[in-house]
Amino acid sequence: MFFNSLHFAIFLPIVFIMYWFVGHKSKINQNYILILASYYFYSCWDWRFLFLLVFSTLLDYVSAMKIEQSKTQSERKLWLWICISINLGFLGIFKYYNFFAASFAELVQSFGMTASPILLKLILPVGISFYTFHGLSYIIDIYYGRIKSEKNFVDYSLFVSYFPLLVAGPIERATHLLPQIKVRRKFNFNKAKEGIYQIVWGLVKKVVIADSCAIYANEIFDNYQNANSLSLVLGAIYFAFQIYGDFSGYSDIALGTSKLFGIDLLKNFNYPYFSRDIAEFWRKWHISLSSWFRDYLYIPLGGSKGNKLFQVRNTFIIFLVSGFWHGANMTYVAWGFINAVYFLPLLLLNRNRKNVDDFTLGINFESVRTLLNILMTFSITCFAWIFFRSKTITDAISYIRRMFENLDFSSQYFKIERYNHELITLLVVFILVEWNNRSKIEPISGKYSWLKLGLCIAAILALGVFSDYKEFIYFQF
Amino acid sequence: MRQFIIFLAKGLAIIIITMVLLDLLYTAVFMQSDSRSKIDFLYNSKDKEYDVVFLGSSRVNNHFVPKIFNDNGYKTFNFGITRSRLDESALMLKLMIERKYKIKNLILQVDLNINTNDHSEAIRSLFMPYIHQSQIIRDHYKNIDEYPKLLYIPFYRYMNYDARIGFRETYNSAIHKPTNALSLDGFNPLMKNVRPLVPADLSKYSPKRNKSYDDIKKICKENNINLIAITTPICMSTINREYFDQIKLVYPEIRSFENAVTDDKYFATCGHMNQKGAIEFTKVVFNAYFKPKNVN
Repeated sequence: MFFNSLHFAIFLPIVFIMYWFVGHKSKINQNYILILASYYFYSCWDWRFLFLLVFSTLLDYVSAMKIEQSKTQSERKLWLWICISINLGFLGIFKYYNFFAASFAELVQSFGMTASPILLKLILPVGISFYTFHGLSYIIDIYYGRIKSEKNFVDYSLFVSYFPLLVAGPIERATHLLPQIKVRRKFNFNKAKEGIYQIVWGLVKKVVIADSCAIYANEIFDNYQNANSLSLVLGAIYFAFQIYGDFSGYSDIALGTSKLFGIDLLKNFNYPYFSRDIAEFWRKWHISLSSWFRDYLYIPLGGSKGNKLFQVRNTFIIFLVSGFWHGANMTYVAWGFINAVYFLPLLLLNRNRKNVDDFTLGINFESVRTLLNILMTFSITCFAWIFFRSKTITDAISYIRRMFENLDFSSQYFKIERYNHELITLLVVFILVEWNNRSKIEPISGKYSWLKLGLCIAAILALGVFSDYKEFIYFQF
Repeated sequence: MRQFIIFLAKGLAIIIITMVLLDLLYTAVFMQSDSRSKIDFLYNSKDKEYDVVFLGSSRVNNHFVPKIFNDNGYKTFNFGITRSRLDESALMLKLMIERKYKIKNLILQVDLNINTNDHSEAIRSLFMPYIHQSQIIRDHYKNIDEYPKLLYIPFYRYMNYDARIGFRETYNSAIHKPTNALSLDGFNPLMKNVRPLVPADLSKYSPKRNKSYDDIKKICKENNINLIAITTPICMSTINREYFDQIKLVYPEIRSFENAVTDDKYFATCGHMNQKGAIEFTKVVFNAYFKPKNVN
């Protein structure tokens, strides 16, 4: 059941009515309704993996209590590592086993020996990377004594399985979500209205921007050998907007849906393509994952303490792991590595926190410089996306080589009966709308909201891609 | 909550009004478009008289040169559409009758397209803008699963088939952006030869009785149209060319022309001839059924 499906359009109002009209009198009823809805939502993909989700929930729930009840530090540590090992074990088997087995076989073969790895035909349980990280953050927080363990199993299950965030995040923190689950939610009109606006804007991003860009990006990346330089440059830009529209659109729908139930989720995107350097980009892109790695990997590794060499090592580890988190393919690792390389000069020059403030543009030299920095950051981000999107590293390198060697910047007509430049107007309009509303969560609220809502609905209906349906990209992670 | 329900009701009203307005707008654009595709040309024309019309898939669209017929005194148009199946050919013929076309001869391609009774979703979509205006189109599609949604939900058909009749096509129709669909009297020559020729694999093909073909035969009989059903050339390296012999067992009246042109130099791909091949083939068909009229 996808957020942009008819199934969800029926499911959501039913859950909403049950939640506010049947279960509204107590927090227990509200949570029961949400947990049932969440399990139904998850089972719509593959009911068999529901057992995995419940097992993972139970494991974290019990481990957290055991850690808290442990009398010695070694016992606490033992329970922590049992829980982490089992969680990462599942993730490893389902997501990475085949990759490691095949890579090991290749390594053995390179030494002249024969190896035939046993590859598993496993379906990746949807959302496993998200709910595993969800649970891990909880258990690590318990271990470090940041929070108390949750005794109510239903409340804890809802924290892990809450349907708006279950399959593609945002990766929540117990400190943020659990307190909201522990109290009865009261209906708030303004919050619900804001939720509707966010859902509508999320749909614009997904079906208008991301899915339109996908048609062109897929054509260009799948046939890059026949594309000219202009098409290849545009292909990278189209993919940049595809993945942004897709994932931030999903996040908007998730956050908006959650607001309908009176629950706020963590912000996941903050207009990342208007960043002035790569450090700012990473503070604004997939925020819940970036901050997860910062808090549970970078800081435990020593973070920015110690000498520069130590900091560089930590930076590379976090970016490489972040790349690998996206999937068992060297292209994701390369993407992480390139971002680490981008980050390196900022780290060495102590400029990685230079652009943390908001900015406004005027008619002055400083504004020109800011704009150039934004353009530069966007360009290098697009360059890195080529590795993320390509099937193999060889493809990515060939793509880039052709981009610089072909040097034909003419209009090109594709087999899909479209010109390479057709989406530019749409993207320019989208960028202007986002730019003018970058201080807000979504652009619909405020003055003339009904008019803006009407325009968004018209855009979804008229410009949306419905016949060539595409899943949300981050569901595969 | 009451405030929120009113808010949702207003939002729903905006959605419905937008859908109705967009439906009216898109339909109005398609109703005045007659140069983007053979279907809009057909729908928006009336009382045409033809000595010969061609119907079928790309193996008609790329294979028949109306100029050869026209030069010999036969007013001819190629209504073949790439990707169309016999289901769409039948509907086109019905539309021609509805639009009061007077047709003497129909040359219909019946070869690879009787491997299945299925339809082409891509070509079906091109009829959808006219579903409210044409009884023939409504009758043709009344038994498909999506019919109620296509007919009664405003704008649904444009969303469902957005790749073909969505914003992009509507915009191009509105500004009358030309295509090559109607130039050369509907003939679309293939200029690029793909080499080496990759053999077509018909090993899983078997001819079946086809409801749409039977419908076409019936319509032709009722309207005094001389139906000429033929197969068209395919390259000699095709796997299971016996398929064409089997067609005769299902429909003996279909005339075999798959060997009318055999030299690889006449083929752009194994299943499609290039322009030279098309000219050769059209001459063969013309000579088989027609004699030149006295023309100036």
